Amino acid sequence: MRWRNVPKYRTASEEETIALGERLAGELPRRGVVLLIGNLGAGKTTLAKGIAHGRGAAGHDEVSSPTFTLIHEYGARVYHIDLYRLDEARQVATLGLDELFDRDALVMIEWGERFPELMPRERTEIYLRACGDDEREIEVREVKNASRR
Amino acid sequence: MKILGIESSCDETAAAVVEDGERVLSSVVASQMSMHGKYGGVVPELASREHLRAIVPVVREALERSATRLPDLAAIAVTMGPGLVGSLLVGLTYAKSLSLASGVPMIGVNHIEGHIHAVILEARRAGAPVEFPALALVASGGHTHLFEVRENYVYRLLGKTRDDAAGEAFDKVGKLLGFGYPGGPVIDRLAPHGNPLAVRFTFAKMKGNALDFSFSGLKTAVLRWVETHDLEAETAVRRAFLRDNPAPTVEQWLSVTPQRTLDLVASFQHAVIHELLTRAAASAELIDARSLIVSGGVACNSGLRTAAYASRLPYPVHFPSFGLSTDNAVMIAAAAFPKLARGEFSGLDVGAQANLTLA
Repeated sequence: MRWRNVPKYRTASEEETIALGERLAGELPRRGVVLLIGNLGAGKTTLAKGIAHGRGAAGHDEVSSPTFTLIHEYGARVYHIDLYRLDEARQVATLGLDELFDRDALVMIEWGERFPELMPRERTEIYLRACGDDEREIEVREVKNASRR
Repeated sequence: MKILGIESSCDETAAAVVEDGERVLSSVVASQMSMHGKYGGVVPELASREHLRAIVPVVREALERSATRLPDLAAIAVTMGPGLVGSLLVGLTYAKSLSLASGVPMIGVNHIEGHIHAVILEARRAGAPVEFPALALVASGGHTHLFEVRENYVYRLLGKTRDDAAGEAFDKVGKLLGFGYPGGPVIDRLAPHGNPLAVRFTFAKMKGNALDFSFSGLKTAVLRWVETHDLEAETAVRRAFLRDNPAPTVEQWLSVTPQRTLDLVASFQHAVIHELLTRAAASAELIDARSLIVSGGVACNSGLRTAAYASRLPYPVHFPSFGLSTDNAVMIAAAAFPKLARGEFSGLDVGAQANLTLA
């Protein structure tokens, strides 16, 4: 696995995490897959809110957690997926993610790292970590040739 | 007049036949069906492939159980959104085919409007119809909305969740504590055994719309509490216990859950209920509501039901029966009756809408 530029950010509030997402929206590729990686409450959905808004795809209040619904579509160019409640690759396979990956769209995925064999080898990984009640550490990695295991 | 309802927006494939907007002649939900032992509730009805397997037998069973033939129907009602496109398409495409083959007109229904109509149907049947304007709280694993419902079923969105749905918070906290997923029902059964005031959870004041919900912060607060109170060992015990006993009883759960954790569970549930009811009551006051409707999977929560009835609100509170709280097709057929009366049919060119809004 090869990493390119590893920018690290710190945010001190939910608002700052959303603002960071809006900024990242301009730097992320036009189409491609972004894995949002972090524990419960790390800020994955909050960052997705900023990114979707930054892409002009959705207002802040249109972006909520897709845990139950699995896939949220924001316009035709931004997808927000959450695989939290799925346990088996077989279940994930029924969602038809490959078809979404082929679209001219940005596809953000929460809990996607649990199914590496189903994720594209070229992708962006954003790591989120809570360090205190409101502070978050956020790291962006471009992954060129990810292992499928 | 009979309407066939078809629902496939998320996990459940369901069909039902309802007469005159109040008599349920049949209601079939795939995950609850025992035919061939194939849908024993073990395999989650997930996404289009599972719906595809279930849709034909489920609809056939709903028609058979109600002794209905296609030409007897006044309309075929089907969920057109919101939900997963692939799942919605299965029900919608099947409804279109039935409509085309039989000449029975089709009516597209919003899934969330269906949840509201589940309550309206049952209240009418019980002889205590919902009075308007009503305030509707629709809370499930995927939705948490507050709507004003006016005469003739005109809706206005007053508030919704900005992050996690209420049911999602229940399910995630349940899993976090080792009660499996979805953990909402276990939390509800254990909460009466704990002290709801033991852990004080606070909600941040909402910026912007004061009637919006946010449950992500509460989920994170529970996670922090768990991290700082050494719950790892007992949680591991519960996870192992669940592996050996797929469906534990309350007594079994109590035997592997210390009092302090029961207090946490009770406090968490208390916080969610308080949040739901406070904002629902504030919304109801805002619109001078004459009744309160609570629907969606979270309406199954017995703590929520008890609290709602105990809070002595100045208007009647309506909950659906348990079977009509979670996803079903009765509610889809029920929501289609007023549309049938108004002649609001859908063309065969109507599409599935993942983000369909009600108002």
